[in-house]
Amino acid sequence: MSKNAITALAGIVVALLAGLAILWAQGYPALPSYAALFSYSLFSKFAIVSTLNKATPLILTGLSAAVGFGSNCVNLGQPGQFLIGAMAVAAFGIACDLPTPVMIPLAIMVALAAGALWAGIAAGLRRRFNMDEFITTLMLNFIADYFTLYLISGPMWDRTTYSPMTKMTNPGSWLPMWDGLSTAFVVSCVAFVITWVIWDRSKLGYEWRVMGQNSAFARVGGCRNEANFTRAMLLSGALAGLAGGLMIMGGMQHRFVKGMGANYAWDGVMIAIVAANGMVPTGLYALFFAAIQTGAMGMELETAVPSEFALVLQAIIVLFVVASRESTRLLINRWAAKLRARAAAGGAQDIGKGEGGERRASGH
Amino acid sequence: MHLVIEMLRSSVLAATPVLLAGLGGTYTYYANVFNIAMEGMMLIGAFTAVAGSYLAGSWVVGTLAGMVGGVVAALVFAVFAVYLKTDEFVTGTAINMLALGGTTYALRQMFRVKGAFMSPMIRAIPRIRIPLIGALPGIGPVASGHPFLVYVTLALAIVIEWHMFRTRYGLRLRAAGEDPRAVDSVGVSSDRIRAQAILISGALCGLAGVYLSLGYVTLFAENMSNGRGWIALAVIILTRGRPLGLLTMSLVFGFFDGLGLSLQSTRIPPQFTQMVPYIATIVALYLYSREKKRVSAGQAGQAG
Repeated sequence: MSKNAITALAGIVVALLAGLAILWAQGYPALPSYAALFSYSLFSKFAIVSTLNKATPLILTGLSAAVGFGSNCVNLGQPGQFLIGAMAVAAFGIACDLPTPVMIPLAIMVALAAGALWAGIAAGLRRRFNMDEFITTLMLNFIADYFTLYLISGPMWDRTTYSPMTKMTNPGSWLPMWDGLSTAFVVSCVAFVITWVIWDRSKLGYEWRVMGQNSAFARVGGCRNEANFTRAMLLSGALAGLAGGLMIMGGMQHRFVKGMGANYAWDGVMIAIVAANGMVPTGLYALFFAAIQTGAMGMELETAVPSEFALVLQAIIVLFVVASRESTRLLINRWAAKLRARAAAGGAQDIGKGEGGERRASGH
Repeated sequence: MHLVIEMLRSSVLAATPVLLAGLGGTYTYYANVFNIAMEGMMLIGAFTAVAGSYLAGSWVVGTLAGMVGGVVAALVFAVFAVYLKTDEFVTGTAINMLALGGTTYALRQMFRVKGAFMSPMIRAIPRIRIPLIGALPGIGPVASGHPFLVYVTLALAIVIEWHMFRTRYGLRLRAAGEDPRAVDSVGVSSDRIRAQAILISGALCGLAGVYLSLGYVTLFAENMSNGRGWIALAVIILTRGRPLGLLTMSLVFGFFDGLGLSLQSTRIPPQFTQMVPYIATIVALYLYSREKKRVSAGQAGQAG
């Protein structure tokens, strides 16, 4: 196992223990709650299918954030890009009625384009006017939120219902269910593979990663950082938009409902952070977070712990995994410094038998 | 005339939480800590304030609880970001998520409700009527009768301007932000100063939360900070952290927030009026960047 996997595992274990302590302190049966959490997310066919369905948007929002952060584009606009992607697909699915083989690829393109467009606004503001993308994307989230709310409670409101939502999309745009598993999961996996190839195996992805590590080095090395920034932003936005679009195409409701997507976009941000922007770890953590969210429902049924506990647990996991990663790195560097100091002191024995070196190193 | 007075009054009310959080952010700004967690600290403060006020039946306890909530969130931030050297952006984002998830969870766990918690048992912070000025026509309704935190905030803006630029502590704090090793070399721990800055910002963001849940309204709603912590961050960038600049800028944002509210009586859909403060933030950042470009172009011209 690699060093990263070990520190991540240590962080997860500590975080799960901290979660256990919180449950215990509040007087819940802690261990049975955890047992329910995992049996309802992993240990039956229905549980696994539910987890995979839950993972579908999380994989995409996670990839979106990972591509952004890993390229040094602080795209915090996943919630907005998600909503705009979903709204675009809803509008497309209501307006067009074509056969499924035409409709589904088109709807996917619409979702990608809509998300990319919303991220593109922030990218354009950054490139033309040098405005920090992390603030503009955050502000665009609120604008997207209120804009979609306006559409579903005004011009696109389905007047046969009592709460704000659009009409159902035409069945041509629905992704088929396969024994409980929505084929949206397959679309999500294909997007994962494509993103992985771009990120880990293409020249473009290499340039983005270099830009993420050290943008000055990338510039000196001949990368066109400005163009790469825009491209990474667009891909990041497209992935978040697709996550939103799949919420309409897959699932059961096939319409844009108020409050849709809840926390999927922010969960994606956390997933990318905890995965240190790696593509494969992002996929794995997306599955893990999906399991926690799915299991939380079962936990509420069995031991009456509010399912919102999943949100707390996720944030704790992020903090502990990241902290254990950073502090192990720090510890290893410190040990290395100590060893070097000792070696240097040993090499120059006539100068005070290495005491000075030792004291300096331990004084840190 | 009545409309103008009403708008000015709502500007003051809406500016206060942004200003309070912004004043907290001033400390982290000068200590060179990227404090994206203000949003979360504010939300936690808003929740603990309501919880304290409800359980103890006292706004004093509520106010203190709100500040403690903000400080505890800040303590987590400080431990991770300063002592465990976790990336500030990462820690801040995680704290925001913890705040959102934690308050939603606690809302259900403690009060058995989803969405929002309101009760006549929640004691709001008192409003102050200023004698003489309060009786003046026009000025009275704008300046008087606000929750007392509004006046505390105005005073804090002046006190913090002085604290940051006229005291030894302020000097050390700014030095710790500019060059931490220089501060360390004279025997003052820069880590400690940075942690203190985070804690101060936590207390002030907590107070902003108190204002939201016990002053502006008297209830707690999920995610009720609604981006104000991020707007405060934008305001800090725009004013380069100067407290008196923050005061002016927050009033401008308060004006747009209030503008949105007063436009709700017109035929514009409410969702568009609610967008106004966020659009105003983007426009302000645009104007700021244009101004900065012009200044730097001017300097380059002079040098050339």
